[in-house]
Amino acid sequence: MPTRLSFLRVLVRRLCTERAAVRRIHWNVSDEGHGQAAYAVDLGGSTYSLVAISNDLPADQRSDRVIATAWDAAFVLFDGIASSDDIARIAIQAPKQEAGRFSPRDLVLSRANKSVRMWDSTVAALRAGEQPDPQMICDIGYLMRTTAVYGNGKFGIADRTLVADRPGLEGPFAAEMLTVYLIRHFTLDLVQHVGGGTLDPNLARHIGIGNATGLGMAPFLVNHPVLLHNWMQARETALARVLARETMTEAQATRLRMLAMRAQHHLADWIVPAEDHNRILRQLEEDWALFAHHFDAVHAERSFAALWNAAAGESDTLQELLAALLIEVCPEDVDDLAQDMGDRFGPLIVPFADTEALKSAIEAKWGWALAHDYEDADQCRRFWYVSEAKLEPRLGDRFAEPGAELETPLDIARRVAQLYADLPTAALPVSEFTAQHPDHAHAINRVALLNRYSYAEIHDNLIAATCRPIDMLRCKLSFFGATKFDPKSDLWTRITLAQGAPLGDELRPEMDDWWLPAMER
Amino acid sequence: MSWTEVQTLGVKAASGAGVPPAQALAFGAMLARHIADEGPQGAVAAALSKPEKIVALAHRVETIVEAASVTARPVDAMEEDAGTRAMLVSWLAALPCKAELDIAGPKVRISLSLSEPSARTRPERLHLDPSLSKQLDVLAAKTYVPDSDASRSGGAGAGLMELD
Repeated sequence: MPTRLSFLRVLVRRLCTERAAVRRIHWNVSDEGHGQAAYAVDLGGSTYSLVAISNDLPADQRSDRVIATAWDAAFVLFDGIASSDDIARIAIQAPKQEAGRFSPRDLVLSRANKSVRMWDSTVAALRAGEQPDPQMICDIGYLMRTTAVYGNGKFGIADRTLVADRPGLEGPFAAEMLTVYLIRHFTLDLVQHVGGGTLDPNLARHIGIGNATGLGMAPFLVNHPVLLHNWMQARETALARVLARETMTEAQATRLRMLAMRAQHHLADWIVPAEDHNRILRQLEEDWALFAHHFDAVHAERSFAALWNAAAGESDTLQELLAALLIEVCPEDVDDLAQDMGDRFGPLIVPFADTEALKSAIEAKWGWALAHDYEDADQCRRFWYVSEAKLEPRLGDRFAEPGAELETPLDIARRVAQLYADLPTAALPVSEFTAQHPDHAHAINRVALLNRYSYAEIHDNLIAATCRPIDMLRCKLSFFGATKFDPKSDLWTRITLAQGAPLGDELRPEMDDWWLPAMER
Repeated sequence: MSWTEVQTLGVKAASGAGVPPAQALAFGAMLARHIADEGPQGAVAAALSKPEKIVALAHRVETIVEAASVTARPVDAMEEDAGTRAMLVSWLAALPCKAELDIAGPKVRISLSLSEPSARTRPERLHLDPSLSKQLDVLAAKTYVPDSDASRSGGAGAGLMELD
């Protein structure tokens, strides 16, 4: 579940605090909606521009996959105010996406496809002098869906370290979140241009920006253990601070009840086609309704911990939702934690004194990894790899498909188990051991990492036949601030970002109230 | 190229050359620092053609870090070969922790502060020699699995693809 520590929320909160305003600085768009546009916004004393290139895309080329080669629109977040020369350069490079080359002033590269049903319906309504169907907005939630948002040096764009000290961009993925927020603004602008009408702000606010995302997020989590630790630690610290409050105020109790009701409405609006996931959602909706009497009973002098303890026997899903709610109600306990969610330095780890210390660390913290029999085919059936087709991350069956020898090393649990089995009975300096077993250095590093960063490791066997990448995707996307998860398989999902967020001319502190938004009833 | 591009390419190239994962990751970080500090690119090219040299260098750095973890005194390393010495220096300079390096002829005096982050800055752009760039690309390509119908079904976006 998204929380007020989610990266998009943190970014929009900052924009609201600064009372930023999105300005259109360039518009050369045909009546059909094709052409170029640019928007500027000030954040933390710097100005950033979104350059948007909108194309006429044949329907048969519209695909969410990384291996697609054309999109409805392409975007670059530019450092500064984009000049006409910058826009002209980006107009040539951005539609090429991975095949283009970019400069250090280009901070983020992205592309998006239309939700054709939502787009056509909204244009038709506006042309008829009407508003789009609120139910459709609820069901789909966005006019366009990004299918990649590239940052941190890819294809020549700026390395993250070049802007990581900028006020407002210090947090993880802050530049990417600014990009998707501005893309959402562009889609609203574009549909009103093509439709020749003005959207009701209450409807427009409920139109977010979609995203289709897949397997690449899972390797990211494994390959950025310090970031994962910092995200989780911030969230756990936030919850611990709230639960440590001895009482709640009347204002907090009132807000808790209001947000609990909003969450109930959000769940009712969140219906997905995948039957198994929809079953979970419907169960959560029912459980939340049954749990509601606890919110009715909250009052000043009652503790947050009492409410939390009341959910002890409830499902993990309900507890996740409750944790996000409690965090939402206490911003003064929570918001400062956002500044510690990045990783500016990489892992600072101390080597083990010897192989005995290494063995003890494995026994203390890796029981979950040692518990599997990796000789069992189903415990090692899958292998992660990178395809030569646009370097798309994929997942294969090592017993049925070629390529397992090129496996990406995400099999951390198996590697640590193999390391443990090979450790000598008598203590040795670790460097003496790795001189004989250089292949174990990766596992040793992971054990050292987990010794210092408690939340750095995903406690699962990522090569087991039962591994569900969708769970890792959801974890990362929740930290982004995603809502309305709409899984299409165990490998990928669609989501909505910025639904309910203030519009580009509404960025004021009082507008930062869009946790689990629900269409007005 | 950006720092991240060079570092990522270095990791893939080392993997493609047969270097194990931990050493390949460290090699990628070393490569970006080495290029940024204008280290000799020929030394990198030579190391990639003998991956056991990369593993040995990684092990050498490991022993230096291990020594630094038990003493506050500087650790000395001797390296007669200028190219290998330059890569050793780049490798240490690429560590996430603070590393002070004093080079005098073949001797490198190393002071590591394992709990203190490195304050080294990164340039906007890195420039690889065309020959090294090509060698890195060729080796990196060895880590990619050829595309196939079965493979495409294992990627994100595979399966259900209704357009909304």
